[in-house]
Amino acid sequence: MLLLKILALEPMNGYAISLRLKQVSGDVLRVSDGSLYPALHKLEQEGWITAEWKPTENNRHAKFYSLTRLGRGQLDKESANWARLSAAISQVVKLEEA
Amino acid sequence: MHPSHWLYTLPLRLRSLFRREAAEQDLSDELQYHLEQKTHEYIAGGLSPEEARRKATREFGGLELHKEQCRDTRRVRLIETTLQDIRFGFRMLYKNLGFTAIAILTLGLGIGANTAIFSMVNSFLLRPLPIKDPEQLAVLGMQLKKGALQTSFSYPEFQDLQEQSSSVFSDVIAEQLSEGGLTINGKTEPMIVFYVSGNFFSALGVQPLLGRFLLPSEGAITTLNPVIVLGYSFWQTRCGGDPSIIGKTVLYNGHPVTVVGIMPKEFHGLYSLADMQGYLPLGMQQVDSSYQPHTPTDRGSRSAFIYARLRQGVTFAQAQSALDVISDRLAKENPKTEEGMTISVFPERLSRPQPDLDRSLLKVATLFLILAALVLVLACVNIANFLLVRATARRREMAIRTALGGTRLRLIRQLLTESVLLALCGGVAGILFGLAGSNALSSLPLATTLPVLLDFHLDWRVFGYAFAAALLTGLIVGIVPALRASRRSVIESIRDGGRTMTGSRSPLRTVLVVAQVGGSLMLLIVAGLMMRSLNYAKRSDLGFEPRQLLNLTLDPNDIGYGKQQGLEFYKQLLERVQAVPGVESASVAFSVPMGYYSYFDSVGVPGYEVPSGEAPPNVGFNVITPGYFHTMRISLLEGRDFTESDVETSQWVAVVNEAMARKFWAGQSAIGHEFHMAGLSGHSLRIVGVVKNSRTNGLTGPIREYIYFPFAQQYSSLATLQVRTTFAPDTVTPSIRERIASLASTMPIFDVHTMLQGLYTLNGFLLYELAAALAGILGSLGLILALVGVFGVVSFTVSQRTNEIGIRLAMGAAQSSILRLILRQGVWIISAGLASGILLALAISRLVGNFISGVSPYDPLTYIGVSAILCAVALLACYVPARRAARVDPMVALRYE
Repeated sequence: MLLLKILALEPMNGYAISLRLKQVSGDVLRVSDGSLYPALHKLEQEGWITAEWKPTENNRHAKFYSLTRLGRGQLDKESANWARLSAAISQVVKLEEA
Repeated sequence: MHPSHWLYTLPLRLRSLFRREAAEQDLSDELQYHLEQKTHEYIAGGLSPEEARRKATREFGGLELHKEQCRDTRRVRLIETTLQDIRFGFRMLYKNLGFTAIAILTLGLGIGANTAIFSMVNSFLLRPLPIKDPEQLAVLGMQLKKGALQTSFSYPEFQDLQEQSSSVFSDVIAEQLSEGGLTINGKTEPMIVFYVSGNFFSALGVQPLLGRFLLPSEGAITTLNPVIVLGYSFWQTRCGGDPSIIGKTVLYNGHPVTVVGIMPKEFHGLYSLADMQGYLPLGMQQVDSSYQPHTPTDRGSRSAFIYARLRQGVTFAQAQSALDVISDRLAKENPKTEEGMTISVFPERLSRPQPDLDRSLLKVATLFLILAALVLVLACVNIANFLLVRATARRREMAIRTALGGTRLRLIRQLLTESVLLALCGGVAGILFGLAGSNALSSLPLATTLPVLLDFHLDWRVFGYAFAAALLTGLIVGIVPALRASRRSVIESIRDGGRTMTGSRSPLRTVLVVAQVGGSLMLLIVAGLMMRSLNYAKRSDLGFEPRQLLNLTLDPNDIGYGKQQGLEFYKQLLERVQAVPGVESASVAFSVPMGYYSYFDSVGVPGYEVPSGEAPPNVGFNVITPGYFHTMRISLLEGRDFTESDVETSQWVAVVNEAMARKFWAGQSAIGHEFHMAGLSGHSLRIVGVVKNSRTNGLTGPIREYIYFPFAQQYSSLATLQVRTTFAPDTVTPSIRERIASLASTMPIFDVHTMLQGLYTLNGFLLYELAAALAGILGSLGLILALVGVFGVVSFTVSQRTNEIGIRLAMGAAQSSILRLILRQGVWIISAGLASGILLALAISRLVGNFISGVSPYDPLTYIGVSAILCAVALLACYVPARRAARVDPMVALRYE
């Protein structure tokens, strides 16, 4: 879901995604650079993101991933799920505090 | 899954499968790009290029591992590895060409035998008729007082059924089989025709190839509508496929009729053994003057087959209960002709060629499918044995694969892929063999020029069957060796170092060979029983002398001859034929023994009480000219033969056979007694002679009652001229043809063959021959396979024990004791196999008993004889490797590995 969300903002290549991940989540979520790619490929094979070779700012060719229509649907679904789940969990947590 | 999902993913899958290199390149480029960027980042952060690269790589984790993980996401792994296995499998098969060839041949024979037999079963029992909704078509059969099942109904019964069964049947069709002559442009050809009710074509839902079919209004029995529809192959062969024949007037039995349409190619009529050549309206049979003493109002004169189409949603059970009500009513309304009548409905597909209460065709099919399947099983056992040997030889390969990380499942899959590949190649060979086999079956000589249709061509059902058999074979023969090969632990295998263990025995292989010997013994016993039954049939007394007898079938009605003209024609023909040199005597008869034409009618004998609950006796009869008994060599026991003075206007007379005389006039002479026939009301028939029993229809069972009538009193236009010759009968054929042409130049000759050939009909020897030949072929295949199996397993033991044998010989064992040692194993296998084979044969003997005659299905002579032969040959198969073992040079044996 995290990857989908990041790609929802703009198409990106793998390297940029890894930077962005680090940037947005700080050190809380440590994804090793290597394991990012199997995850991306899995999303691609599911049809949620699509890839395209494009020149980067410094004129090198890189594989850019972007969200597909299916992927957007999936993101909405997962976001909603997450919202429900986190709401529920925070309810439980509050309950314990009370 | 959402369909649009595939829009995105399908191209990816295809790319992963077919453009694997490109996908790999992309993957590696992508990861490379990441590493480079990372390195740049660290360099910018102040590290040396060297250090930056190392750090980037370290942070990334195992490059190859991640690549593999990425590959795993592609979801085509299964296909990819299967393709790999298939490529590897082909390589392995190619590497062992000898083994591959033998295995493919073995499987090919096994699958071929199955395919050929299945193609027959398919054409008789499975292939639907080329009509609309064939599963709705039913055939009606009828019994009187639970007597024999009859398939013919009288016209009034047809009308009643049509009127009263409309709640369950949408259409009720009547058709009557007949033969006639069609004259086109002055040339007359005999043809087999159906007289059909007007709804025949519309009810079946077939469309004409050309022209039109009969109109519903044309089928009424009371009107003469001179139209004819021609069958496709008749139109092709006799009219050259000329479409302008439509609308032309031709002569049918000398009467002008108009050709209105042509049948589509794939439709051969409803009678599955014959290819119908023409279709005429039911009413047209009035002009066909051969044996038609009844008017269609006679309820007891039954000659029409009735087919019916079930209404949508009506089941056969519902139709049957409706028919029960109707037959009860008919029996009450017409006690004279229909007392105790029950009508049964049969699905068309299970009623070929005729409905049959015993389903004997189904039983034949089951028996031969079992036998053929057994041959395939024997072939499988051989292949499985080969594969087991190979698995032993490939132990090291498997061990290395396991050591390199191949999972057990993966190994099994690879081995199974190989065996399935092998089996599919065998399947292709099998289809070729099967094709040859079914072609041979389709072109059986039937001793008739009737358009008999034995169409066993292979269609998708047969191919599907062969393919399924091959696939199943591959899995079955592969699974055990694969499981065993993959079970062994790595360490054990590598430690073995490929050395064969001394004296290692394989109980599984031995059991398989025992099963093989048993299976082939059973096949051979069945074959032996069938051959003995055939021999019995051939040697049994027919009651007439079939040698030096020539049969020519004619029908003067074909060119429009009426009764008087026909009688005169036959009379002059006999005179002229008897003058031909080499002809000893000649006569004319309607029925020929074992032929396809016969008469039956019920008999009434004054003073003979029909036992209650039984139908009046239905007796076969023939019409013959004087001299028939002499020509056929049927001895006259009492009284006299017919003479020229037995004519239509004199007292009607009959000659009966012994069985008839004994049944109705036991203990007294039958001569002078009188009786009646249902079809000849008004005539009292006086017996003037009694003849010896002879076979008329079928070669087995007790000889039934039979009656002969003078040709002149009960004329039949369709008849067979029988000529006894003093030398080879076919040498006189040309001069007899000449005599016929000199009397009537346009007279077509239906059929010419010798009486010996004539015995090989479906009613005669043909089925016995066919069954014995098929069983013999299957039995020989089984025998060969079993011998290969015994030879293989004993040879294998010898090669495995070479070391041990060498030691024994070196220690001073005599050659003979080595021979005994090896033979002992063989003898054990053979005796266990024989015992199981005899048990198997006893188990199916009841089924076999249905198809043999004159020999018991438990015939000890066959059992012992066949067992002895198999035993001898199998011992020989053991002896060869055993002798090789005994002759082993101890030094060579010890150095063997």
